[in-house]
Amino acid sequence: MATAYRLWEILERARTGRFMDEDDFLPKRFTPTLKKLIKQYEIKYDPKNPCPSDDAMADRIWQAAWDLFRDVGYYNTDSHRIIEVTDAEIKEALYMANDQYWVGGGKDARLWKHRTVEDKTPPFCIMSPDITVDEKYHQSMCMAYLKEPLLDGLCGPILEETFGHLIESGGPSEISGCIQHIYNQKMAARLLGRPGTFMVAVGTAEHDSGQIAVSDDNWGVQKTDSRLVGSLTEFKTADTLLNRALHYAQYGCFTGNLTGAIYGGWCGGSEGTAVTTVAYSLIGLMIHGAIYNQHFPFHLNYCSNTTRELLWAISMAGQAMARNSKLLYTSNGFANAGPMTEMLFRETAVHAMVSTVSGWHLWEMASARNKYRNRATPLEARLGIEAGHAVANQGMSRAEVNEIANRLLATYEDHAVDAPMGSEYQECYDVAKAVPTQEHLDMYRRIKDEIAALGVKFPY
Amino acid sequence: MSLEQLSKFVEDGESDSARELAETLLVNGANPIEMIEMLTRTMAHVGELFAKLDIFLPEIMMAGDALGGVVKVLGPYLEKAGGRQCKGKVVIGVVKGDLHEIGKNIVKLLLETSGFVVKDLGYDVDPLTFVKEAETMGADFIASSSLMTTTMPRQKEIIEILKDKGIRDKFKVVIGGAPTSQLWADKIGADLYCYDAKSAPERMVSILETSH
Ligand code: B12
Repeated sequence: MATAYRLWEILERARTGRFMDEDDFLPKRFTPTLKKLIKQYEIKYDPKNPCPSDDAMADRIWQAAWDLFRDVGYYNTDSHRIIEVTDAEIKEALYMANDQYWVGGGKDARLWKHRTVEDKTPPFCIMSPDITVDEKYHQSMCMAYLKEPLLDGLCGPILEETFGHLIESGGPSEISGCIQHIYNQKMAARLLGRPGTFMVAVGTAEHDSGQIAVSDDNWGVQKTDSRLVGSLTEFKTADTLLNRALHYAQYGCFTGNLTGAIYGGWCGGSEGTAVTTVAYSLIGLMIHGAIYNQHFPFHLNYCSNTTRELLWAISMAGQAMARNSKLLYTSNGFANAGPMTEMLFRETAVHAMVSTVSGWHLWEMASARNKYRNRATPLEARLGIEAGHAVANQGMSRAEVNEIANRLLATYEDHAVDAPMGSEYQECYDVAKAVPTQEHLDMYRRIKDEIAALGVKFPY
Repeated sequence: MSLEQLSKFVEDGESDSARELAETLLVNGANPIEMIEMLTRTMAHVGELFAKLDIFLPEIMMAGDALGGVVKVLGPYLEKAGGRQCKGKVVIGVVKGDLHEIGKNIVKLLLETSGFVVKDLGYDVDPLTFVKEAETMGADFIASSSLMTTTMPRQKEIIEILKDKGIRDKFKVVIGGAPTSQLWADKIGADLYCYDAKSAPERMVSILETSH
């Protein structure tokens, strides 16, 4: 845990901090402060440039995010109290944060390092469908992702059933589902000969109890792996979430901070979404002791982040963190369209390229608005990650990516509302062998060629 | 100063100005029924702007608060004019085990701004709490949100508790949340399923009307 030395002081503040009625926290404290800071730091969304090259604005966003966290704090809904930190504590935490970690085990371990804007080092790539799947496809899907050459880490699909029983939140079926989840993920990695692969697990755990049940270095989530702590949107937490932060720290695995600032919600528009996203990285570091932050800012109506108002926010937030900190953070794509559609491939590539050049690591790819069971496959993530590697290897500039993004956006942005749902995993993959169908591969190849024609030099 | 100005204050979320102007207008003999009708149209317009995200959640919240302030001032006048409108009383919450509260908050807001009285039970709410709170409030509706297949069974439990207590007919049960569906509503015997927040107020009014 990055800030373990402060763990107990922070947890104590969750009980003793300033009292506030939850109903007032967002309308009276969070949003007015955010609005004031956006004005004060002259942060302005520019729809023409989904991937802007504005260093000065990136730095102002960083400063606004810092002020936002310091002035607003983080609200515990169980105690109705605000956890507050000082400038000195933020500085200390940023000084103490490592800029790199070895994650995963044995020969499969990987070095995960901070990236800068327009960095030539390829991003660290976590792949995840981010959705639930039928029990009968779970292991196959884990295997299919692990067959991806550029995968550095896996966050497996989520189970809704365990041995034919519906998983019910907080009950024994959840505990069992969580164990099944990690077994499937680890078994897939072992059968494939990459047993030490870094894993983020288990998404099936809805409660702290589910997470705690799978902490085991022999058969479960190992210390070389990672788990996530979420927030309640925006800037709120609860004891069940803090319990996770504590357990992960005491167990000794890598903690990730999971947040999705909502465009259209309490953050307002693109400016607020960017500032809030950056501030969440500070929250992750200081309150959850996260070694990395996993961000999925999304559009309130579409539940996606591949349209320009979100790309701008992602790009600016990435640049702000890349230029002003040495933290690690992943950009989690959320697409409108579903699997085996040209739109999904294009959305993923744009998300990955804009994120990569802006200093992010990648976490790809939630599809079909992250809503529908079985609707995600490794192939869209593959294209995104290949595009990310290409952008880094080539040393592309933000301006070049901006232009490519605008060209690709023109093909899909009008369809954010009525995006095609696409197909399910078992329609795009041979489930037994965990390989894509020819039809799916052909579509992937076609869009890859189309993007290559725009000047993207894929590694292979 | 006019009704148009009042409508503008509400739209802009200027609570104090809206309340003061409403008081002045009423003292000077403005028709309270006309006023509430006008403001209902204003709120519908604000709701449409929000649906397109031409404005964001904080703005519609502020407009809702401003409207709430005016409605308080209007209350006694409306009662005298025989036009007091409460479209229905609702208890709303996110079911036990579920922390996804954003959708529920939007539904609550749209219900309040369309003239429902709403009691918000928050998230991670026990099925029995829904029922007890509805009884205490004398609610017309029990509205529950579930965002996960793993918490959907709690929506069913609300209905089972109502049946076991012999009070199923006293409340209309409304459900929503991304994984829920008309099919699920039929299966558990809910009275209404809404795909989104926008459609909820009108559809809730209509099921209450048809049952009277
Ligand atoms: C944001 C989000 C989060 C945030 C929630 C923040 C918060 N304070 O609410 C955080 C990061 C905390 C989170 C945590 C988790 N999440 Co989550 N999350 C989402 C996500 C991406 C969006 C939900 C959302 O807010 N949408 C926007 C709102 C406006 O839409 P909505 O809620 O659907 O509401 C609309 C309508 O449905 C309707 N409506 C809603 N309720 C009601 C009620 C009534 C009465 C009516 C009439 C209408 C109505 O009106 C609303 C407006 O139109 C969804 C995916 C998705 N696309 O839904 C996953 C999702 C719900 N999460 C999921 C999971 C698995 C989790 C975690 C378990 C992850 C983990 N391992 O930690 C935890 C669960 C914690 C818990 N115990 O609840 C899964 C659930 C899978 C399942 N089993 O069904 C989903 C579906 C993602 C996926 N595809 O796998 N999550």
